[in-house]
Amino acid sequence: MTVVDTPPRAAAVQHTIAAASASGREPARATTARWMRLPSQVSSSLLALILPITLIAIWQWSGTNGVVFGGALPTPDRVWTAWVNWAFGTPTFGLNPYVGTWLQNVLFSAERVAKGFLVAIAAGVPLGIAIGWSSLIAKVVDPTIQWLRPVPITAWLPISIAIFGIRDFGAIFLITLGAFYPIVINATQGARAIDKNWIRAAQMMGASQTATLWRVVLPAAMPSIFTGLRIGLGIGWTAVIVAEMIAVKSGLGYVLWDAYYVGRMDIVLADMVSIGLLGYLSDRLIVAISGWLLTWHRLQSFSQ
Amino acid sequence: MGTVDFASVSKTFDGKTVVQALAEVDLHIAEGEFVALLGPSGCGKSTLLNILAGFERQTSGSVQFDGRAIAKPGPDRGVVFQEASLLPWLTVWDNVVFGPKVQGVARSIYEPKALEILKIVGLEGFKQALPVQLSGGMRQRVGIARVLVMEPRALLMDEPFGALDAQTRLSMQELLLGVWQKLKTTVLFVTHDIDEAILLSDRVCVMSARPGRISRDIPITLPRPRSINDLTNPAFIQFKAAIMAEMRGAHGAH
Repeated sequence: MTVVDTPPRAAAVQHTIAAASASGREPARATTARWMRLPSQVSSSLLALILPITLIAIWQWSGTNGVVFGGALPTPDRVWTAWVNWAFGTPTFGLNPYVGTWLQNVLFSAERVAKGFLVAIAAGVPLGIAIGWSSLIAKVVDPTIQWLRPVPITAWLPISIAIFGIRDFGAIFLITLGAFYPIVINATQGARAIDKNWIRAAQMMGASQTATLWRVVLPAAMPSIFTGLRIGLGIGWTAVIVAEMIAVKSGLGYVLWDAYYVGRMDIVLADMVSIGLLGYLSDRLIVAISGWLLTWHRLQSFSQ
Repeated sequence: MGTVDFASVSKTFDGKTVVQALAEVDLHIAEGEFVALLGPSGCGKSTLLNILAGFERQTSGSVQFDGRAIAKPGPDRGVVFQEASLLPWLTVWDNVVFGPKVQGVARSIYEPKALEILKIVGLEGFKQALPVQLSGGMRQRVGIARVLVMEPRALLMDEPFGALDAQTRLSMQELLLGVWQKLKTTVLFVTHDIDEAILLSDRVCVMSARPGRISRDIPITLPRPRSINDLTNPAFIQFKAAIMAEMRGAHGAH
């Protein structure tokens, strides 16, 4: 019969707690349930933190006088100090151009990634669906995509600078290009791997070609499309750093390269951690959206 | 309306080895008739149904529905698939109203009809559930409901209860008997279950395999309305014995 309804256990626990507080005493069962639920929520975050904390600790303890590798790299405490200054210090004239500019550079990079990523979605998803749906389009377009795909985005840098110059457009172009391939390939895959009977059922119910594309092929390809979005966004972050190191004069990638040139390895490391954090947070956002949109798919995977 | 005519229909599948799925099949189904196609797997009974549905095309011969050649699938021939094949991202309600919606039927027309049909199949309390949250039997009820809401002139059912447990299958057969008693739609029902074929249909067409053809066409003269109690009725047993002998013969000849 019904496999999933409202989560009955959580509802029951809530109910017991409410009843207990209403009667003015806390029954043992409700206390146990609450006590047992708390660590399970916290424990996964704790588990996730064990490895980074250990690595940072080793890094810290292997340093002397705030440096490791004979002075090549600063220790975590110095990186932290540099970041705090970079993020919250008051900008002044003089020797330290990074003070107080962290948020500004984060926003530069994030905006470029967002723009390039959105263009990649707008181009990659429809094209991927079209390739997966029509064998004619697949024959015309797919070989070219597969042939251009091995060309790394770094190889496009000279052309990008030649055409767009040292401007935002070049960075966005590289991000779009990098994110485009995984998005188009996964959308194609999603449109191809559709249950034949879903299409037949839709046609039997009178759906036109357009209606079948919109109401069957696109939703059926969604899980695969989201896989492509996650990979594409990751490549988008790689691309923005590469582009900013060379093709523009702002953003985390620019700061990274600039700090390296002036020997500020503490800023380099703080910058790297920032990139990782932004990539992680944006990936969580995509996962959250897909979890909300694809409830049907999640339930299916769990119950089978 | 709802007449079906197969005239010397053959179907071959090309591949490494050419498979002749159907050979010179003739079949006429009158308006409102309930015909079962009974046979072992691989005898071409689903192919026959798929051609009538418009999912596949015959290699030779003519297939007509209401006097017209089949061009493509359409809501006049509602198909119920073996595994229900609901759209898993749509709720029960959205699956049931999918047909009228894409056909541009006004909401005020399809909504009361869909509600009534959901009540008939006993799912009015599950409108917002997703297919994955339902049992196999409930999913197939939705599969039947989404077809009935379009008021098709024929129901094409491809082993619709084949994947269900015995208990659920009986209750689904009873449901279908009740629905058909009221609607009297033409039905082509593909099955490999002898009991099911006799219980439901006016005629049982026994098919033999390689190449697929209709070897016997047996009218089931049991009175209607029928119920699952008829399964133990002596007249029922007689039909069953005759069909079993026919099927054994068809196998022995091979």
